[in-house]
Amino acid sequence: MEESSASDDKPRILLMGLRRSGKSSIQKMSPNETLFLESTNKISKDDISSSSFVNFQIWDFPGQMDFFDPTFDSEMIFKGTGALIFVTDAQDDYVEALGRLHLTVSRAYKVNPDINFEVFIHKVDGLSDDHKIETQRDILQRANDDLADASLERVHLSFYLTSIYDHSIFESFSKVVQKLIPQLPTLENLLNIFISHSGIEKAFLFDVVSKVYITTDSSPVDRQSYELCCDMIDVVIDFSCIYGLTDAGSGCAYDKESLAIIRLNNTTVLYLKEVTKFLALICILREESFERKGR
Amino acid sequence: MEKMSRVTTALSSNAISGRTMFCHLDAPANAISVCRDATQVVVAGRNIFKIYALEEEQFVEKLNLRVGRKPSLNFSCADVMWHQMEENLLATAATNGAVVTWNLGKPSRNKQDQLFTEHKRTVNKVCFHPTEVYMLLSGSQDGFMKCFDLRKKESVSTFSGQSESVRDVQFSMKDYFTFAASFENGNVQLWDIRRPDRYERMFTAHTGPVFCCDWHPDDRGWLATGGRDKMVKVWDMTTNRPKEIYCVQTIASVARIKWRPERKFHLATCSMMVDHNIYVWDVRRPFIPFATFEEHKDVTTGIVWRHQHDPHFLLSGSKDSTLYQHMFKDATRPVDKANPEGLCFGLLGDLAFAAKESLISSDVNRKPYPGGDRRYPIFFFKKPDPTEQFAHVSSALSVFETDLNSNHMDWFVKTAQLYLLSGKPFAELCDHNAKVAQELKRPQVSTTWTMLRIMFSDPANLTATGPNHNLSSKLGTLPLMNSFSMKEMGTESRLERSKGESRPDNTHLEPGTSHISNNNEENEETEGSEGQAEYMFGDAELDDDELYSMEHDNQTVLLSNTVLSLLPLPNRHEAEVTCLTPIESFSLISISQPLYSPHLPGSFFCPIAREMLSYYAEQGDVQMAVSVLIVLGERIRKEIDDLTQEHWYMSYIDLLQRFELWNVSNEVIKLSTCSAITCLNQASTTLHINCSNCKRPMSNKGWICDRCHQCASVCAVCHHVVKGLFVWCQGCSHGGHLEHIMNWLKSSAHCPAGCGHLCEYT
Repeated sequence: MEESSASDDKPRILLMGLRRSGKSSIQKMSPNETLFLESTNKISKDDISSSSFVNFQIWDFPGQMDFFDPTFDSEMIFKGTGALIFVTDAQDDYVEALGRLHLTVSRAYKVNPDINFEVFIHKVDGLSDDHKIETQRDILQRANDDLADASLERVHLSFYLTSIYDHSIFESFSKVVQKLIPQLPTLENLLNIFISHSGIEKAFLFDVVSKVYITTDSSPVDRQSYELCCDMIDVVIDFSCIYGLTDAGSGCAYDKESLAIIRLNNTTVLYLKEVTKFLALICILREESFERKGR
Repeated sequence: MEKMSRVTTALSSNAISGRTMFCHLDAPANAISVCRDATQVVVAGRNIFKIYALEEEQFVEKLNLRVGRKPSLNFSCADVMWHQMEENLLATAATNGAVVTWNLGKPSRNKQDQLFTEHKRTVNKVCFHPTEVYMLLSGSQDGFMKCFDLRKKESVSTFSGQSESVRDVQFSMKDYFTFAASFENGNVQLWDIRRPDRYERMFTAHTGPVFCCDWHPDDRGWLATGGRDKMVKVWDMTTNRPKEIYCVQTIASVARIKWRPERKFHLATCSMMVDHNIYVWDVRRPFIPFATFEEHKDVTTGIVWRHQHDPHFLLSGSKDSTLYQHMFKDATRPVDKANPEGLCFGLLGDLAFAAKESLISSDVNRKPYPGGDRRYPIFFFKKPDPTEQFAHVSSALSVFETDLNSNHMDWFVKTAQLYLLSGKPFAELCDHNAKVAQELKRPQVSTTWTMLRIMFSDPANLTATGPNHNLSSKLGTLPLMNSFSMKEMGTESRLERSKGESRPDNTHLEPGTSHISNNNEENEETEGSEGQAEYMFGDAELDDDELYSMEHDNQTVLLSNTVLSLLPLPNRHEAEVTCLTPIESFSLISISQPLYSPHLPGSFFCPIAREMLSYYAEQGDVQMAVSVLIVLGERIRKEIDDLTQEHWYMSYIDLLQRFELWNVSNEVIKLSTCSAITCLNQASTTLHINCSNCKRPMSNKGWICDRCHQCASVCAVCHHVVKGLFVWCQGCSHGGHLEHIMNWLKSSAHCPAGCGHLCEYT
């Protein structure tokens, strides 16, 4: 794994969007806390590299940021950015958000054409299934039309339906992060080889802190299995915090010793193993293949 | 067409036969594919790559393509396809990103022909062009689709899905140059093979990944897609904008999808998660699978119809390491197990009943439903081959109406509105409710309330609460007496009836209870009326037998009502006892003994009250049950288990809401103690409003619209901001304080804002 020393070199993920669209609440937060979230007034830089495998900074922009403000240094902001996440509120009128999106994308693209543009259609929990897909279709259509009008067809926007009430936000975040990991094909192949030579059905490599999966094997990801794995991390960390911490109090709840096996009553076994300081390998396998270890 | 006839002749000369059969593989299969003449099938998986011959009775292993001591990762297949033109040509997609072609005509053991290692990540799908021999398409996790010319060493063109993983690629049957690709982000793209720079069209098909797509084999431009959102959707691609024409909801994510040959509307699906079955759907009937194959013990990973013109054979590979051939005639038909009868109550006691024709037609007296010719909604017309159609089900819908004269549900509405459930001392609540019931001519209910008051009030309280009654003068030692004297009339009539209850005639009908006089449908109607009317035991429309059985079930309750009211009158008491069975008199004594004790604790009556509540609930008067539950509160709550309480509450709230008694239902929700009920009021509490000036949504709190900076909800009459009840016309969106608007409308029918709209308030 490559080590980038200067913090400025780290790929950045920018979180942008209109105010009250849910940018801050996206970041590791349980839904009930978000009610009390204050508006973000200044750029908050969240450097998650110290606690996580991924060397990323997340810049949470205040929604009322004015691009035409002379103090707004778009060079500085967009230059080293790997991905720009634009958050729209699906329950609100998104016409204004789309205008903002267009503005943001065109400016960012001018400075740095290599940015991945990701659009989170957020707060979809309140919408019916039909409505969800209709909203996504509409936003996609309009956003792409806007870009085409500005002859920016080359810009690609990826859309995700997200909500903080389920794991869709983690999953979407995982996809965003994965695009920025250069070693992804290698890791995926390693996991493919790993599961093809063992009885394991599905393997995830998780970033423990953010519950983002760095990679998984190439079989389709099932929402339930992903959620199970997320929950397993929670269980393991909670347990370790209660019983695993030494008296010094300085120890980390997650260390080399971390290993957990959970048997579910549907003959499935969850297996968690520490890989590095920040990563955990979580495997889903059948009980019978778990019995025949080493085969 | 020419080709097709050629193939069909080939088929008829060499007709496929076989049976449902399976064989064990050494390892889980990932994909299967058949060769053109349907005699061989190739199975590919992480650790398996074999060709089996399909014989009459069994599978025979023909060839193991996985050779070499240390098989390379190129053998670890995610997908396999047998060329439909060239019988010796196969292509596989490897999990390490390699696309491999195999030539079975090679003399050596290793049949590997070409190796393309251009993809960086797993290749999910390979697809040969249906008519072009050398054209191969691949779709990979790395977001690229590549087109290979098998005469060249590398790909001819690359199509970029913009870093979204490709799950499936399929050449169109209709257009020579077109292929469809499905993506993990829910999109489906159509590409022209000659234009690698940009897709022809793109649309969002599913929420979540689209795992598979399949073109309809007849050239109609239909594309079926299946995704993780558990939907199968059929799109008409011939229109300007892809139109969803059919949608099937399944129970698990859809991993593979294959149109059934020769059957226009059928398609087979399987899931790679949770569900092991293979379903064949008729897309026109999306609610129930047409046929199901349930043989596999683990998830099915690959399905393929054995021959492209034979709809009777389906092959499937599974993670349970078996390869199956399913005969269509052996499939399970879920529709056979479905219940074809349906029954539903209308709000005012009407009963709708749908049943199979055959069942109903035997009933000669049936009256047709007057509301139009809806009696025979025939879903499917009979076609020659019954096994290929949904069972011919035509149902008749009958609606039984209740007699208009017995305007039966009024009592429910009135009672709901008039009952007091909280806010006063217990005894007063009971008295009030008893009076309400009395006025509505429901003496039993009324008596019950009175009894409840007696049973659960401690004497001290009782003396204090009496002033609004005639019994206040005679308080003290005989509280029972007092209350009885008040209720005497009701009880009298009631006793008369219970004496006459053995006579099954109609003379003792309660005017308030509903009686339906449709003789032909005695049974249904009786059922129907039970829902809305509360019966006295003496009601003559029940048969004798029923009457007795019921009475025994609820004897304690009945007793507690009749007997307790009798107690202060010894002469009557004796008379009644004589006609009671031994068991009943026993329970009577056990009650009457401690009754004379002046300090009887309320909890003593709990079992009786509990049975009484259940009795009312059983009778269909859930209103009574819930009202008593609320009024009694803590006194009874622990006696009844939470689920029952919740059930009662839910039923009552449902009824109230169907009668649009929102205030009452809200009060009930508020007063309930079940957590499941109280949280009903905490759901969907958001009200979205638009600014009345600029018609844009109001973004957040406050009375000022963000956009036009005006106060949004101004009363059109007094021009002040309305805080509180705001009523507005849905036609012109003007409105104001409830009272102001009401006053205004008394004098004018036009909008007070002067917009000229003739406002309507409902």
